[in-house]
Amino acid sequence: MKDVDLHHGASTDVGLVRKVNEDSYLVAPPVFVVADGMGGHSGGDVASRMVVEEFQRLADDYDPRRGAEQVADALGRAQARILDYGEAHRALQPGWHAGTTAVAAVLVDDEGVTKWLLVNLGDSRIYRIVDGRLEQVSVDHSVVQELVDAGQITPEEASVHPERHVITRALGSPGGIHPDFFLLPLGSVERLLLCSDGVTGMIDDAEIEEILESVADPRDAADRLVRAAVAAGGRDNATAVVVDVVGLVKDATYDSQRQLQSLESKLGGRL
Amino acid sequence: MSTEARFAAGDWYAVVGEHATVLLPGSQRGRVAGLWDLADAGAGADALLDAVLTDGLSSLDHFALVAHGDDGTRLLVRGAPTALLSSADGEEIVSAAPGTTWAERVVTGVAGIRVTLTGDASAEHLLAPGLARVSVVEFGTPAASAEPEPGPVPVAVDEPEPVAEVEPSPQPEPVAVPDAPLSFGEPADDPTPTGDTPVVPDDWSDRDGQTRVGAPVPDFDRPPVPGQEIAPEVVSRPVAALVFSTGDVVAVDRTVLVGRAPEARRFASHDQPHVVTVPSPQQEISSTHLEIRPGAGVDHGSAIATDLGSTNGTVLALPGLDAEELKPGIAVSLVPGAVLDLGDGVTIQVTNP
Repeated sequence: MKDVDLHHGASTDVGLVRKVNEDSYLVAPPVFVVADGMGGHSGGDVASRMVVEEFQRLADDYDPRRGAEQVADALGRAQARILDYGEAHRALQPGWHAGTTAVAAVLVDDEGVTKWLLVNLGDSRIYRIVDGRLEQVSVDHSVVQELVDAGQITPEEASVHPERHVITRALGSPGGIHPDFFLLPLGSVERLLLCSDGVTGMIDDAEIEEILESVADPRDAADRLVRAAVAAGGRDNATAVVVDVVGLVKDATYDSQRQLQSLESKLGGRL
Repeated sequence: MSTEARFAAGDWYAVVGEHATVLLPGSQRGRVAGLWDLADAGAGADALLDAVLTDGLSSLDHFALVAHGDDGTRLLVRGAPTALLSSADGEEIVSAAPGTTWAERVVTGVAGIRVTLTGDASAEHLLAPGLARVSVVEFGTPAASAEPEPGPVPVAVDEPEPVAEVEPSPQPEPVAVPDAPLSFGEPADDPTPTGDTPVVPDDWSDRDGQTRVGAPVPDFDRPPVPGQEIAPEVVSRPVAALVFSTGDVVAVDRTVLVGRAPEARRFASHDQPHVVTVPSPQQEISSTHLEIRPGAGVDHGSAIATDLGSTNGTVLALPGLDAEELKPGIAVSLVPGAVLDLGDGVTIQVTNP
């Protein structure tokens, strides 16, 4: 895989209401993760940390040519650990479960071409900036998303729906995990955002786009997103990881084709 | 669990693929060849189960399936086979209760699985991908009692008892046992006074149709496109070859996505589409322009093409017919000799694999 220069920033905040930050994140280029734990009494924070630990193990021994396989393995290991952890707790407290969402982004080598491999479980989200516009890449595994897909409610109604926090897939689910994978060309992602629903539940896509478009440094952009979520009420833990592929950052005279060609010549290959 | 496997000789068939093993009685010789094609091509549990069930359950009183997936190990036994799961916590025996369709488990953190078909021989031979005649199969670390002595060269195995082909009594639909409600800590423990913690509903494992207590619904996880059959994840052999004007030749043994900068969305880790990038200096070709995949149902055995709402469209010329533009989102069956034109001088000729 070609060496690709990644600039990144990450930020997290417990918010104004919660006592515990159950979100965890990992920044270990080219591996990036956000996990939003669920469960009181040291369930959620442990579960989300287990995901991050398993992706750290992946990052320590990462083979980009086997990216999808290694990501699936990391999720499988995290799932096994979370189930074991829940099992141990249930001995004391019947019915108790720990769970967590996960979104991750890794660079992979797809037959010699560097691409983004993204994965999603639950209602944390992956967004990208493409052609100067914000686009949500991941599709929430949530009850309201299913209602939207079925045409029963609009996206606007989903954001205030009473069941908007009910998710349909997660790590820790006894029925098994079924992650969605995405494979995107490097050139189609000018900027990548991984975030927990403590960000997307507090500020709308227009505000996220405005921040990602206007704040050049990814560290500042991640900070601004989390601060905006807290300022909007901070009802949940908020976490954001922002990643730029250097050379693909939008500028005023952005021309996607020219940028891509110039990046290709710098990297010496086809993107 | 280690996926290393051992077996003891017998008269059952073991169809051993990389991801999954199917065990069938000696009387089921007819099903074995087709299953082996699939297993050899890397088929997962769902695809194999589909094939096992193709000819119906009434003629298949006994079988077992063990699959190693991302989420753990999936175990399914019907009829006579029994499985012994060993873990640090102890042992559990899995067998189908009389009258039920089968027994199923998805297990993680299990050290070993021993599936007994007939007899109680110790599994001494290494079970490699392929076909074997077996009476017992073990995966991972066997239970201590079954640890084989590193004995002498295997001697001739006694002819095992033939499996009694008992006609089962009419099988009632298995009743799904409701899961115990999930709780994420007592409310008093919840550090979230607003209750905004994303919770999983009590029936969450049913919500996405994943829980199947014995109901034979080997469906795929991918959201279906209305009006289209879902393509099998893995087909035993390519249904067509695509000869690109750029010189690339691509086999259609899974979903193929073609475009200027194609993006693959919402796939499972074992089901990654083949992404083919074609040049488009005039930008006539969309980033993800066209999908070609093995057909299902009436289209089984042929490739089908779908224009994914491309800006400039795709023209299909079938031999002997006028060229016509594909309607976005509508799948069309391809025959050898068909030519797809994506624009910018890029064409794809469909040939036999």
